[in-house]
Amino acid sequence: MTDVKQEEITKVIVISSDKVLPVDAAMKIYESEFPVTVKETCFGLIVTGPTEDVLMVTEEIRKLDKNHIFVKDRGFPAGDERRCRASRGGGPRPGFHFLREEVRMLPAIGDALDELEAKGPVKESPTKKDKLKVSELERIIEAELAR
Amino acid sequence: MAKVFIYPVNSLILADLVERFGHKPLAVMNQVREKVTNISLDSPPVNITPEDPKVGLRYAAVEVPAGVRGRMSLIGPLIEDAEAAIIVEAPPVNFGCVGCNRTNELMRYLVRSKDIPILELRYPDSEENAPEFVYKIKAFLESLPREEEK
Amino acid sequence: MSEEAGIVKIALVSCGSEYSGVQPEFEAAATEVNAKFVYPEIDVAGLDNIGREFGLEVASGDLRLMMARAKAVVEGTTHVDGVFITTCFRCAEGAIVRNEVRRYIHKHSNIPVISYSFTERTTAGTLLTRLEALTTVARRRHLLAREAQTGLTAGIDSGSTTTKAVVMRDNEIIGSGWVPTTKVLESAEEAYSLALKEAGVPREEIQALGTTGYGRFLIGKHFNAQLIQEEITVNSKGAVYLADCQTGPATVIDIGGMDNKAISVDDGIPGMFTMGGICAGASGRFFEMISKRLGVDITELGALAVKGVQENVTMNSYCIVFGIQSLVNSLAKGAIPEDVAAAACYSVVEQIFEQQLQEVDVKEPLILVGGSSLIEGVPKALGDLLKIDVLVPKNSHLIGAVGAALLASGYVEE
Repeated sequence: MTDVKQEEITKVIVISSDKVLPVDAAMKIYESEFPVTVKETCFGLIVTGPTEDVLMVTEEIRKLDKNHIFVKDRGFPAGDERRCRASRGGGPRPGFHFLREEVRMLPAIGDALDELEAKGPVKESPTKKDKLKVSELERIIEAELAR
Repeated sequence: MAKVFIYPVNSLILADLVERFGHKPLAVMNQVREKVTNISLDSPPVNITPEDPKVGLRYAAVEVPAGVRGRMSLIGPLIEDAEAAIIVEAPPVNFGCVGCNRTNELMRYLVRSKDIPILELRYPDSEENAPEFVYKIKAFLESLPREEEK
Repeated sequence: MSEEAGIVKIALVSCGSEYSGVQPEFEAAATEVNAKFVYPEIDVAGLDNIGREFGLEVASGDLRLMMARAKAVVEGTTHVDGVFITTCFRCAEGAIVRNEVRRYIHKHSNIPVISYSFTERTTAGTLLTRLEALTTVARRRHLLAREAQTGLTAGIDSGSTTTKAVVMRDNEIIGSGWVPTTKVLESAEEAYSLALKEAGVPREEIQALGTTGYGRFLIGKHFNAQLIQEEITVNSKGAVYLADCQTGPATVIDIGGMDNKAISVDDGIPGMFTMGGICAGASGRFFEMISKRLGVDITELGALAVKGVQENVTMNSYCIVFGIQSLVNSLAKGAIPEDVAAAACYSVVEQIFEQQLQEVDVKEPLILVGGSSLIEGVPKALGDLLKIDVLVPKNSHLIGAVGAALLASGYVEE
């Protein structure tokens, strides 16, 4: 088991930015000399360390491109063998699939945050239409059959 | 700062937006952390032991499958703590912590039965819908009390 | 027993196990039989459509993940030696997917599969026999290919209720022993001595010994057995051997003293199988209690049952306590022993049908073995229920011992 102290936390930092690359963010953390463990992933970074340090690090990273860098907590520390595909017999961990889907939506979320900042509230689109009434469907069917 | 329950409970987007707009996301990741960093337990991968489905009896009866009760032992306390909630319908995929739809139905029900502000909206089905999605969440979060009212 | 051919890779296709506290139990059972669970690599992009592709659209994501993993196994994306399919007990959605995924793998590959539904109380011990059987099929196909007994060998089946032993020479049973199990070692010693005595063979001349049943490890070690093997593979082999159905499909039902096995066999090799049953109400133990209450010897129960009409008595053996209650009630109402015996037989096979045969594909011939197969009412009730002829081979109660002696002869030439 990985040796983790109770007060340590882990954050996933997903970078969906044109300006910042995961490697830039990682470099920034290395330079900052915070006592945290950083793991680069295909989406960004996983940072593990004492709560205060991790919070400060993530704030710093967020600032690099605040509307296009996203952060969430992670239960497992970076590189925990219980979640490592090599030691658990292959296959991505289940949470990965959802993260992948969310990451696909991030450019749009980032743009929306930019837009909100620049222009204020957006117009709400009309609510979803109800299902066609049976009587209306019946009328259409009859009309179609009569043609 | 309000404690906001999010559904899906492991959503990056929701956890990020809640925090970004000044509140505390009640996410399952923190519960998992408590479990997996508890060195007195050794029940990989998420350190759920046979005791947890029993804890889950608080939320679901014994005829409910163990997997539902085990998950509820993680998520139930979050719902109890929640001061507000954001429920996103039709998320793109649901695996792992949110891989059981019966659990998901139960937790949404338990959230809705609480007397707290709830925002329910659909996951954006296209990029065009994303701004509205973000706007609604922002507006909801801004409507919540900032300071601890105690 | 697992030193051969290294670690067996078993794909764990599951839903809910990580959240039920049973994952470590699974892992422990796998380690015990020198197997390792793997999680098949899947095409993440294909997950969205897996339900459609499979034809089974379910709401829970983890169940869709099971389908995707089954597909990866069948298509060979991930190479595995066996598959363990498992979902939460009492989950309907899970049960549907579990069954269909099992069928799908069985239909599209030759990989052995077992399926199981767990609760938070499932322990490694419960899974051990099942996983041992799964790994045996994966690891020792060559051993299971044996169709004839050669040399002078013996087999001991240390069951929960009775201990059986046989001595075989050149494909013939030349001695047998059958005693109630009291102390595992003493009973084994007694049964084995009886078999040796009947065979007229001194113990030292036995060229190879195989052990099976609940007490297999203990007696195997004691007698220095060449083969210590769980009862699923041994009994499958023994059944098709005794029934002379060694090639092609067959279904083996073994009604034991405490639990039952339903095994779908192909060329003598078990494919799908289930063990257990809900309660001892569907086992030999129930027949013992019925016999005692009717005041007949268990060996007379079958003949009694064949003369009775099961429809005349309502018997619920879903639970052994309720079953006995039904018995007491019916006798109090004036039911005749023949009808009660027939109802007891029907009740047991009905439970096997409802609880176990749904999990395996029943293909003829259907071979009924185990001590309870000697109660004539049982094969009759099973045949009536399934509308097929039930085959009870000669020496069907010695099934495990014969299977063990047969398989042990694989060690004679070595």
